[in-house]
Amino acid sequence: MPKLFARGKNYTSLPDKELVALAASDKEAFGELYERYLTKIYSYVYYRTGNTQDAEDLTARVFQRAFSHIGSYIDKGAPFQAWLYRIAHNLLANWHRDQGKRKIIALEDYTAQALPSDAPDHVTEEQDERNQLMHAVRRLPEDRQQLLLLKFIEQLSNAEIGEIMGKTEGAVKSLYHRTLLALRADLQNQVHASAARRLSGQAAERL
Amino acid sequence: MMESNADVIAQDFVENVTEALQQGQSIDPFMRVTGANDDQADLLAIIQALSETMRPIEPSADYAARLKRHLQIGDGGFFVRLRRMYARLRRMPARLHIAAILAVFAGFSLLLSRRLFGAASTSISTSAPAPRDIAEETVATAL
Repeated sequence: MPKLFARGKNYTSLPDKELVALAASDKEAFGELYERYLTKIYSYVYYRTGNTQDAEDLTARVFQRAFSHIGSYIDKGAPFQAWLYRIAHNLLANWHRDQGKRKIIALEDYTAQALPSDAPDHVTEEQDERNQLMHAVRRLPEDRQQLLLLKFIEQLSNAEIGEIMGKTEGAVKSLYHRTLLALRADLQNQVHASAARRLSGQAAERL
Repeated sequence: MMESNADVIAQDFVENVTEALQQGQSIDPFMRVTGANDDQADLLAIIQALSETMRPIEPSADYAARLKRHLQIGDGGFFVRLRRMYARLRRMPARLHIAAILAVFAGFSLLLSRRLFGAASTSISTSAPAPRDIAEETVATAL
């Protein structure tokens, strides 16, 4: 009965590698891994789906899959979290395929904090800018979105991101720079487009 | 593809700015450097905006506790299946929801009508006496 003896153990001080080795036969050890990575995986999935319901569903599936396959996990030197992110990435790819084009993601949810109706103008403006930015992020190719999430939400290094995405550290660095340039170009286009819309609206009013 | 020296410098710049922001350091030194360079100033503003906008999202405490409990007591499969089924049902178009409700209603109506009217017709057929001439004929044949 390994579980009964395991209850008194202090898992918080153990590194991932030891926890993974224990987790195949000890649910408490898996519980510690779950505690460590739940928010990271949930955030990653949340930003890729855009709603709480699907984020909860997919996060549960990630941990369920990890739990059922942890016995066959082979340590190849990559960190455990890289394995979890790959599971999440595969499930998200299936989810996006199933959703097709009919799913419209509520992008306003990304910035989460709903504004009160009497919020000052500059706060509303900031919120608009953030929404525009997130719209632009959503228009990026999938690998670039993944890179930004791993960098800003998970705050991983280029080497760790490379292990998850199957790229070298240098390739991640280069992709990050190109992603920022693409975002800048997109945002500039949006500014020009909205200025053009505003001008045409004013012209129509004058007529 | 070989990268130019300018590319490498730009890549280092965005990396350093991102790292500084993630470590909670001031980016003023970078601002001073970028004063004369619009390209770098734009990228710096985007990195800053990304860093302020893309924050970790905490799942609800109730969800976290529920999922952990289900994983640890070993019925995570059922829990996951139930959530998945609910999520799929929720995503279905409204006309399918209406069709499913109508189908369930029709099924129950059918069962109910069979139980009520089916039972009544069975009891009529078993309790009704046979016509007299047929009964007499049967007796004569038997004799």
